[in-house]
Amino acid sequence: MHLFLLGVSHRTAPVDLRERLDFSSRDLSAAAEAIARRQSLSESVVLSTCNRSEIYVASSDPAQAREELVAFLSDYHHVPAQAFQPHLFALENSAALAHLFRVAAGLDSLVVGEPQILGQVKEAFQTAAGKQCVGPVLSNAFRWSFGVGKRVRTETALGEGAVSVGFAAVALARKIFGRLQGRRVLVVGAGEISSLTAQHLRTQGVGEMVITSRTHAHAEALASEVGGLAVPWDSMINALGAADIVITATGSQRPIVTRPQLQAAQGHRRSTPLFIIDLAVPRDVDPAIGEIEQVFLYNIDDLQSIVEENLSRRKAEVEHAEAIVNEEVTKFMAWQRSRTAVPTVVALRQRFEAIRRAELQRLEGKLGGLSPESRARVDEVTRLIVEKLLLEPTEQLKALPDEETQAAYTEAVNRLFRLTDDEPLDDGRGKRSELPKQS
Amino acid sequence: MNTLPLLLYAAAGVAYAIHFARRDTAVGRTATTLLLFGALVHTFVIGMQTMEVRHVPFANPSRAVSTFVWLFTLSYLYLELTTDERAMGVFILPLIVGLQTIPALYPGMEYQDAVLDSPWFWVHVSSLLFAYASFGLSGILGLTYVLQFKEIKKKHLGYFYTRLPSLQVLDVMNSRAVAVGWVFLTFGVIVGGVWTAQARGIDPTDPNLQAMSLDDPKIFVAMLTWGVYSFSVVARRTLGWSGRRAAWLSALGFAFAMLNFLAINYFVTTSHTFY
Repeated sequence: MHLFLLGVSHRTAPVDLRERLDFSSRDLSAAAEAIARRQSLSESVVLSTCNRSEIYVASSDPAQAREELVAFLSDYHHVPAQAFQPHLFALENSAALAHLFRVAAGLDSLVVGEPQILGQVKEAFQTAAGKQCVGPVLSNAFRWSFGVGKRVRTETALGEGAVSVGFAAVALARKIFGRLQGRRVLVVGAGEISSLTAQHLRTQGVGEMVITSRTHAHAEALASEVGGLAVPWDSMINALGAADIVITATGSQRPIVTRPQLQAAQGHRRSTPLFIIDLAVPRDVDPAIGEIEQVFLYNIDDLQSIVEENLSRRKAEVEHAEAIVNEEVTKFMAWQRSRTAVPTVVALRQRFEAIRRAELQRLEGKLGGLSPESRARVDEVTRLIVEKLLLEPTEQLKALPDEETQAAYTEAVNRLFRLTDDEPLDDGRGKRSELPKQS
Repeated sequence: MNTLPLLLYAAAGVAYAIHFARRDTAVGRTATTLLLFGALVHTFVIGMQTMEVRHVPFANPSRAVSTFVWLFTLSYLYLELTTDERAMGVFILPLIVGLQTIPALYPGMEYQDAVLDSPWFWVHVSSLLFAYASFGLSGILGLTYVLQFKEIKKKHLGYFYTRLPSLQVLDVMNSRAVAVGWVFLTFGVIVGGVWTAQARGIDPTDPNLQAMSLDDPKIFVAMLTWGVYSFSVVARRTLGWSGRRAAWLSALGFAFAMLNFLAINYFVTTSHTFY
């Protein structure tokens, strides 16, 4: 049985095509079920995010699996096959496995190292598992991939550092204030960028959020969106005095807050920190304000350069993460081979055990005079001899380097010990001894 | 006897440094375990010495340093285990190892002066040692606050930014350490004064007691230290001196405390020489 993968991702297909092949808005489990019902496909997991639509299947015939999946995609999304075929990528076995591990580790993401993807991979697997669409092939591969994702996260800095302006601002706020619970936020200007940053802060559980804008209706709209309070533009300076975190993003051509204004507004509480995030171009906040002891003033360029620095730091970690992925692929393949040896090993053990019992039975007459203790000792000694004889071959079978060698050895062992036919073995003296049935 | 704790502290110090550089939690746990083990062995050493001289060993400067290191280690462990914050270890451990080297190299003999045979002595010295341990923590917290503050203020988010706790946490921990230290320092100084007055009644000729005045450098610097921390406590509440100003004050106060505890204690003091 082969692991086979067919899909499109941000690396192979433009966004409009990805949108047309997107599963996430539709019933994922139904899609997985429909795929698994197809003739040559026995298992399926559908992974669909805004950057990728990938179908993982188990199949005995990868070429046929590809054909069936293309037909399925075309039928399911009502898109002619020729429209997406040039953008498809297909991978088999260890290559498909490596891809899955890279995806789970965030190495294949648009923003390298982003943390959501591992959760999405888990969810895709659980959805398919819930519909009994996964068997041993996908189940082992996906479960292993969760471990790889976790390992890359803990052993590398791939997911470290904020890589968007909003997250960078939140991360800074946390380094200044620690917990953000109860911190008062003032948003000046109700544009898209201030709204995004405000929402990031909201998810961190900040306290009161006050919003003001030259156009009061805009302030009210944003206030209802993020659960804040809209105040008139005139009271902006007053609100400034009470705030811990200030986001400004107005279209003003001149600074809207000057140093004397801020100092007057802060008055007695000058000693507590104030974090100002100035997202406007040209800047809303007089740069001289940044010189005040307890004020931390960051403008859009400062945040942008933090983001870029973090991105380049993540890129530096890619090599390390790739090495982990490769190591895990090798480990997984070795583990899988050791598992394919299991039936042979079991059969070999059963055969040896059968011979041992048969011989003991045959010698029943001669052993009859022994005391129960001595009988037990004889039983123990023969068992140990069999164990010792089998130890090395078992280890060797499990540790074979590749599938071909594995198949050759398994075949040889099967033939040498006649493990596949039910014919009892010759006892070596020209007549066949009766073997007791295995329990 | 003080060498074994020193070796364990040194090993913990190395582990804390590796933990800080690589941010590896497993190494961090090893560091804490080594430090806990060091503190345990140290407790045993101090226990032995206490049984030997029948009071906690701190009349001899070297033994007092050892007792201080022990208290300092326990205070730090308390801070680490209650806040789950290990980043400070790399700054604390050099101080612990450096100070513990003194008793390890010069064990010193505990001398029993009749005048020390008083519960006041015990209360006086243990309060002050505990105050110094708190000030040690606050000094280190202040130092790390300044490092973190610099990176955030100058917008160079680098090495310390990712490793140190937030400014707020550092500031709050610092303010608590200063407050606790100040209470014990004040109490210890008052007890010292009361004890001196009492002892003069018993043995007016003791040269140590004759020298107990502000003219003695040790007492003078102790009062100066008290002044710095009192100002820090008051200024935080009335003038809003938190953050970087408070951080510098606690570093300054600790410098005074260490000057007194080491240099003056060993070489200059005219009173407080019970050996």
